Amino acid sequence: MPMVVGVVAGAAFVAVLVVIGLFKMMWRVAEPNEALIISGSKHRTEGLEEGMGFRIVTGRGTLVLPGVQAVRKLSLDLNETELHVDCVTHQGIPLKVRGVVIFKVGDDFVSIANAGRRFLDQQKLMSERVHNVFAGHLRSIVGGLTVEDMIRDREKLTGQTRAACGTEMEKLGLIVDSLQIHEIEDPTGYIQNLAMPHAAAVQRDARIAQAEANRLATEAEQQSFARMAEATRDSEILQAGYQAERDNAGAKARQAGPLADAAARQEVVVQETRVAELEAKRREQQLQADVRKPADAQAYEKRTLAEAERDARISAAEAKAKETELAAAAEATRVKTAAGAEAEATKARGTAMAAATRATGEAEAAAAQARGLAEAEATKAQGLAEAEAIKARAAALAENQEAVVAQQLAENWPEIVKAGASAFGSVDNMVVLNGADGMAEMLAKALTMGGTGLGLARQLLASMNQNGQAANGTSQLNGLVTPSAQKVPVEQDEG
Amino acid sequence: MDDASMVGLMGRVTGTVGPGLVGEVIVRVRGGAEHFLAYPASGTDRIERGTVVMVVEYLPPRTVYVQAAYDS
Repeated sequence: MPMVVGVVAGAAFVAVLVVIGLFKMMWRVAEPNEALIISGSKHRTEGLEEGMGFRIVTGRGTLVLPGVQAVRKLSLDLNETELHVDCVTHQGIPLKVRGVVIFKVGDDFVSIANAGRRFLDQQKLMSERVHNVFAGHLRSIVGGLTVEDMIRDREKLTGQTRAACGTEMEKLGLIVDSLQIHEIEDPTGYIQNLAMPHAAAVQRDARIAQAEANRLATEAEQQSFARMAEATRDSEILQAGYQAERDNAGAKARQAGPLADAAARQEVVVQETRVAELEAKRREQQLQADVRKPADAQAYEKRTLAEAERDARISAAEAKAKETELAAAAEATRVKTAAGAEAEATKARGTAMAAATRATGEAEAAAAQARGLAEAEATKAQGLAEAEAIKARAAALAENQEAVVAQQLAENWPEIVKAGASAFGSVDNMVVLNGADGMAEMLAKALTMGGTGLGLARQLLASMNQNGQAANGTSQLNGLVTPSAQKVPVEQDEG
Repeated sequence: MDDASMVGLMGRVTGTVGPGLVGEVIVRVRGGAEHFLAYPASGTDRIERGTVVMVVEYLPPRTVYVQAAYDS
């Protein structure tokens, strides 16, 4: 029994699984980007007329009888086709156009049905087909446009595209989302030439703008440089000023030390000078006290003493002078008186004496005259005689000089002997060894010496005779004395 | 979805609609926005881009006839 239940349950389970599997096989769901095209049975077709023979399902699930119905999927995705087309424009300019067409299957059932009928087995070839279609259409489009339109008037391009392709693509059940022309190759350089004036103008404007901008920039730059130079100058001036101040301060600071030293040294010197001055002053004071004051005192003492002595002496001298003066005065008075008296006496005496003298004189004069005359006569006679005598003697002398000299020696012999003996005068004791003979010999020698002196005397006399003193010598030789005039002293009163 | 549902919908011109031109409008339909080739409903109208239009006729698959929704 339970086994039956289990089998039943298992069978039911299997049946359920089978049912689910069948349902899974029969139930198809259309993805959002695809359309299911179901054919094979008579169905009520939504949105399509009878007789099309298939139905289209989009966006939902549907039951499909496997083996009875065929289900095909048509992609509604976007497709694109690259276009490389050689075209000629409306102006006859050949271009190579590269573009892209973006298209898809239309979303309405009519478009899906059209596209399904045309491309269901050739979905991979759809791009190729579209490319072929669009190549021709693009030629016609470009042929209806100028290059300027293609470049500038996109509205016109899209309008032409719609006009040329819209209905064509409608037939195919496709819609064109976009036709873009990527690149236009221009072998003749038309576009470049087209752009050239504008490019030149733009270039000109650009160059002008650039030049202007350069000018402005240069101006600004130069102004900036000038400002910078100005600022640099100001800064350098300021820096130089500050540097100068710093140098000044530094120099002052550097000199501060020596200056302070000098000041201190100056102070020291001042103090030393002051000390020296004080020392000198002290020494001076000391000298004053030690030397000068005593010296002064001594000098003062001496001076005072000298002055006193001098004063005393002066006083004494004055007194003595006074005394002398008085004495002199007295003496003078006395002398004057005496002189007066004497003068009187003398006068009287003189007078008397004068008279006497005159008389005497007169008498004497007469006598003297007489005597004189007599004497003159006598003298004259005597002189004549003497002259004769001298003449004779001179003759004799000339004749025999030796005799004269001998005579004179003889006359003067005593003096000569005395002179010879004077050599012995200073002898106290003389011992004569030879006795008396010796004595006599000695005397003889002395006298011989005197005889030797005789020669000398002779020479002396000879020299004397030649001199002018011969007369004098003669008179001395003669022993005659010339009488001198006698003067009679006459007392004269001076006063 | 039937064809009659397109008529009366409002759309916006994305390519100028006018005589001799193939215009384009974009219309909210089927939960999205699709574009359709558009022609003027009255023959001489010229409808510039950006104008709000109303679909007055729908020719399957992708063609509509439109007219300006508001008199300007």
